[in-house]
Amino acid sequence: MSLAKYRHAFVLGLQGNLVYRWNFAVRASLSLLHLAYVFILWGAAFTGQETLAGFNLSQTLTYFITILVLQFFISAMNEDYEVSEEIRNGLINQFLLKPIHYFSYRFSIFVAARLVSGSLALIPLLLALPLLWPHLEYPTDTWTYVAAVPALILSAFLQFTLAYCFGLLTFWFLEIQSFIILSLAVETMLGGQVFPLDLLPAPLYELSSYLPYYYQMYFPAALLTGRIATPEAAIQGLGIQLFWVLALYGVAQFLWLRGLRRHTAVGG
Amino acid sequence: MRAAQYVRIWLAGARYSIVRTMMFRGDFIMWSLVEFFWMGVNLGLIGVIYQHTESIAGWGPWDMAMLVGTSLLVQRLLMGFFWTNLFEMGRNVRTGTFDFFLAQPGPVLFMVSTRKIDLDGFLNAPIALGVVIYAADQLGLTPTPLQWVTYAGMILCGLAIHYATLLFFISLVFWIQSAKGVEGGYFALNEFSRLPREALRGIASIVFVYALPLVVVTNVPAQTLRHGLEPRHGLWLAGAAALWLALAVLMFHRGLRRYTSASS
Repeated sequence: MSLAKYRHAFVLGLQGNLVYRWNFAVRASLSLLHLAYVFILWGAAFTGQETLAGFNLSQTLTYFITILVLQFFISAMNEDYEVSEEIRNGLINQFLLKPIHYFSYRFSIFVAARLVSGSLALIPLLLALPLLWPHLEYPTDTWTYVAAVPALILSAFLQFTLAYCFGLLTFWFLEIQSFIILSLAVETMLGGQVFPLDLLPAPLYELSSYLPYYYQMYFPAALLTGRIATPEAAIQGLGIQLFWVLALYGVAQFLWLRGLRRHTAVGG
Repeated sequence: MRAAQYVRIWLAGARYSIVRTMMFRGDFIMWSLVEFFWMGVNLGLIGVIYQHTESIAGWGPWDMAMLVGTSLLVQRLLMGFFWTNLFEMGRNVRTGTFDFFLAQPGPVLFMVSTRKIDLDGFLNAPIALGVVIYAADQLGLTPTPLQWVTYAGMILCGLAIHYATLLFFISLVFWIQSAKGVEGGYFALNEFSRLPREALRGIASIVFVYALPLVVVTNVPAQTLRHGLEPRHGLWLAGAAALWLALAVLMFHRGLRRYTSASS
């Protein structure tokens, strides 16, 4: 019974997000433009050399293609704004009166949304597959894919929880858009979306591997594309990722409880 | 209208924008930081790539820094002068608030494009220029005053091209009722302005150098500082600016004819 309500939220999330299918399709198509830019830039950077930091051009391009696909399947997109809007408009009040866990409710909708956006993103990618295929070079070790499954689930959870925390800031600040975009800039850079983090100088790479951003996108992408060299490194990464998931969930619960103390429900 | 009247109207709008920005100082600081961080992301990418290679399409690290700085400078100026105005136009046409501009005693396109300025965009423009100057210094270049004046003129041409392309695509709102996706499209396309022209070949060169002159907007000014003025390239940039402005104005006025007020 307790899970049924979240299943309903998931179904509603699917329906709600299918309404915006064209938005997702346009967004996915535009991401092919970004991919073209990546191909040109990195193709030029590889001119005259076989490898860059131990990886060839195809492996590097495979990394960026993987990142692009993962963005549509596990990234938080509008979740922070949605939480923020529900707090600001007072829509959150209805959840305070019902036996529903707001975090789980929002997470159910997030899973539905990513299922829709991920599936739609595959359409333009499949159309471009004949062009991308010659550049795809994935590792053959089974353990990387076994480790990637929990890494992807934890990444999705991490992405959502961080967005949820930013949304909850609305309890304290009227306008949170600048916080979100600022965080997005940091996430884009330290999450490995601009360049593979292993291209950073060794001390900076080491430092980045202890930050939550590393586990939002880079870690699962690196596992899937063979940039995490050993099973031991993968297990250590999963451990740190789990720590960040629990820590951020704790922060989210803290913000929720403290935020509710400041919240004033108005209206009949 | 005389030029002095245009200036007076623009100054009144600028004053209003500054006063409003100063009412929300915290927000202004945060947005300035946001813009600053995104500039850092773009420069960070170049820095990391050059840790592992010496050249991208024949361009060294400081050449690329100059190119990226030029791209960011044009983008900052676009953000400062026109970005908010053009995107508000998209919303206003949909909601009917656009009537407000039609009722104002001035050319509609001017009133629409210049109502507000964004201080946070301007605040980071000197930083982008600083990147260009520092890169020139690292390259051992000592551009003449004429080269700097030419560079400034080319930046204005680049600004005109960016403004015109944005106006062109947002004017589609008169037909399709929504300009959603244009923002994402702009940022996706603008990435190409940070590429050296030599890196683009085949169809990419035709699209991003000739059809959409995004690469020209940054490469020609940067090359002017690196190698001196090439009149042919300068004319190309000016011609592209004139052509895109004409297309955008035509598109806007065609759209305006279709506009029927949506308000009561």
